[in-house]
Amino acid sequence: MHELPQQLANGLILGALYGLVAIGYTMVYGIVQLINFAHGEIFMVGGFGALTAFLALPGGTSLWIAIPLMLLAGILVSTLVAVGAERFAYRPLRGAPRLAPLITAIGLSIVLQQLVFSFYPDAKKARVFPKIPGDPFELAGITIQRSDIFLIIAAPLCMMILGWFVAKTRSGRAMQATSQDPDTAKLMGIDTDRIIVMAFAIGAAFAAVAAVAYGLRTGQVDSRMGILLGLKAFTAAVLGGIGNIYGAMLGGLALGLTEGLATGYIQHVPGMDLFGGAAWKDVWAFVLLIVVLLVRPQGLLGERVADRA
Amino acid sequence: MSTETTPVIPLPLGAARAVTAVGALATTASAFLAWTWTADFPGDLTVTGYPGGLQWLTLTAGLLTLVLALASYGVPGLRWTSPSGSDNGLLYAAFGGAAVTWFTIIAIAIDLNGLANLEPGGWIAGVASLVALVGALGLPVDRHPKGTSWGLRLAKTDQPLPTARQLPSTVEVLLIVVAFAIGLFAITFGIDTEYGELFTGYLILAGFVIAALSKSGLLPRLRALTIKHRPIATGAAFAAAAGFPFTQTSDQYTSVAANILIFATVALGLNIVVGLAGLLDLGYVAFLGVGAYAAALVSGSPASPIHVQFPFWAAMLTGAAASMVFGVLIGAPTLRLRGDYLAIVTLGFGEIFRITMNNLNGTTGPKITNGANGIPRIPDLEILGFNLGQKHLIAGVELGRFSNYYLLMLVVTAFVVLVFARVGNSRIGRAWVAIREDETAAEAMGINGFRLKLLAFALGACLAGLAGTVQAHVSYTVTPDQYTFAEALPPNSAFLLAAVILGGMGTISGPLVGATLLFLVPKKLEFLSNYQLLAFGITLIILMRVRPEGMIANRRAKLEFHEADIPAQASPPSESALTKTGA
Repeated sequence: MHELPQQLANGLILGALYGLVAIGYTMVYGIVQLINFAHGEIFMVGGFGALTAFLALPGGTSLWIAIPLMLLAGILVSTLVAVGAERFAYRPLRGAPRLAPLITAIGLSIVLQQLVFSFYPDAKKARVFPKIPGDPFELAGITIQRSDIFLIIAAPLCMMILGWFVAKTRSGRAMQATSQDPDTAKLMGIDTDRIIVMAFAIGAAFAAVAAVAYGLRTGQVDSRMGILLGLKAFTAAVLGGIGNIYGAMLGGLALGLTEGLATGYIQHVPGMDLFGGAAWKDVWAFVLLIVVLLVRPQGLLGERVADRA
Repeated sequence: MSTETTPVIPLPLGAARAVTAVGALATTASAFLAWTWTADFPGDLTVTGYPGGLQWLTLTAGLLTLVLALASYGVPGLRWTSPSGSDNGLLYAAFGGAAVTWFTIIAIAIDLNGLANLEPGGWIAGVASLVALVGALGLPVDRHPKGTSWGLRLAKTDQPLPTARQLPSTVEVLLIVVAFAIGLFAITFGIDTEYGELFTGYLILAGFVIAALSKSGLLPRLRALTIKHRPIATGAAFAAAAGFPFTQTSDQYTSVAANILIFATVALGLNIVVGLAGLLDLGYVAFLGVGAYAAALVSGSPASPIHVQFPFWAAMLTGAAASMVFGVLIGAPTLRLRGDYLAIVTLGFGEIFRITMNNLNGTTGPKITNGANGIPRIPDLEILGFNLGQKHLIAGVELGRFSNYYLLMLVVTAFVVLVFARVGNSRIGRAWVAIREDETAAEAMGINGFRLKLLAFALGACLAGLAGTVQAHVSYTVTPDQYTFAEALPPNSAFLLAAVILGGMGTISGPLVGATLLFLVPKKLEFLSNYQLLAFGITLIILMRVRPEGMIANRRAKLEFHEADIPAQASPPSESALTKTGA
């Protein structure tokens, strides 16, 4: 188990998950310069949307049918929540001092978490999520859980679709223009309000895909799962260069690799034998963030230090 | 901004005044009647001839309405209660009376299942308070010009008060002392409320009374007096606060008060970081935790791996220094960048602190903190031979353990207030405000942005650590779970931030008031317990839309948040694009 290729594979799979959630942070930040703290909760809500769809299906439905439906339900729920949040909580605050939308975002994140915690049936504890049955299979000496196949397929697919959308479609190019200069974009006839809604919606949809992957992987969803994952995903977005969608995925992969390697190898470093293992992986992820901010604050793929304030 | 002076309900002036005064008199009198037949409703409202529980609140509201109504008549000797000469204060007082009375009636009906449980006295009170309200609505009040469709939106802008009569300064000082004594009484009443209904009624009434007094011009007068005699006013405020344990007979509420002070002091420290320097710190409670853990480790607790017992002053310095070191470690890499990075790094630090403290338990890491079990049995402090854990008889009043810690904490609070006031008004404080407003412009003026931001961050961390050292001793045990981002009970980072924002950023009294409210409300309203965090989140969202400057607004912050209300030529729109989030 403790071979390098295995640790690398684990890290990459985890990193793809972070990357999918990080896309949502980076898109919203790139366009409105807002850290959408509630994004972790939008991820969580997507997971519960998918779970609801699974529970509504008759028992014994093949996962080949169930997973697409769950995915659809998760995307629907999280997109609706994100668009609603943008419309009713963030939009009225545009032009307000910087702290106001940040605090609204914190409030929103608490509200979403508590709504699910208090009102979703049995959500006081983690709820069981289906897993893809079957033994893990081996590929070139690397063991891969069957549930991770979903993520291995979904993450590159999502990135390809997003890349095509942003580079080739009219809306995607409008989005690039808005993130470069919202005022000029508006003058050029771009409906920036629509673009902002779109950024929230795409981010939410990606978060829902990540939530389904998370559920399949861990076999459970719970109302608090968005906090730490949201924090990690934002770290990934900063790591890759905030505002850059490929950077978000790259940052996610780098973060996942760091965690995987730290979990596996830190205890072999002389003097660090007590700081290895799963208990410390979050600490190492955070240390990585600090180091990146010290050494390369614009992130791996960032070109300029974002300073538009 | 112009205001209109028209009544909401068209009534002749004389009739409106008379109706208000009669209603207020009847409300006052009705508080002495029996409102319900059984003592099952808390507070015993069954006695005729003596008010109890919620009836005291109706009595207060009735008396205030009556006094203001008489002042509106111009009765000599009472005119001082309404220096503004506006009837808005009277309207708020009448609203308060009606609100608290009807709240009581509804609470009786709900608690005892049905309005049948009301005695005639209850109905009289309800009708009388409504009569006073109708009368007050018939008075010519200053209304917001845009608010006519709603009818009730009162004017926001305060007319300048007529110049005050010159009083001898001894009388002025006496007035300040009386005002703070009343304040102490009111706050003590709030902390001592024994059941949720009374506390809710108290909050309702307090809100309306404060609005009434500020519209009548009494609070602005008092503020002018305290500004004139600032040292005496500050002294009186702390004397009033120090008087609190002497009004208590048991430790039940002094422990609440001690914890409020800890929470409020930390909120004030956070206000330096957020309110003055404009740095969003989402992991502030971790600095409290660093201070508490540092103090616990050197406290001589048998569970601490370091078997030393520092004297209190050394423990305090250790805690403050440890927090400051962490503040610099976190701040130095992040403060060079935009503020948003700081938010996320501090949030991360808050989480990591908790995880690390959980891990340093001997199995997943070095054995330092005992992991989730925390460091228990922290011994009580002993300062100059005075053991804070024991009861002491002072001035004929027995002060228990929590009273002692309350008084100790008050000294720490006073120190933090002093630091805040002195630094805030200094060159450094003005530089912080300049950085908050526009960092680029501030740097162009020769301010070293990074160094000053780091100073604010480190100072804030240091003050939180200071409060943490006392907190460790007050709560006997430090555990990692006390220091989370969002939890149902304060202190936690989200509540601390909310205390600062709710109270008012950049002010001293704002976070103190905000922290007191945020601590008391969850404590007293236990029926909310399952939905506390939900209500808290909703409050944050609504607050940001309605009153982002907080309850006690800094004048500058108020202007900044309500730019739209200022005539256009005062702030050209092109400028706002530079300082705001844009898009």
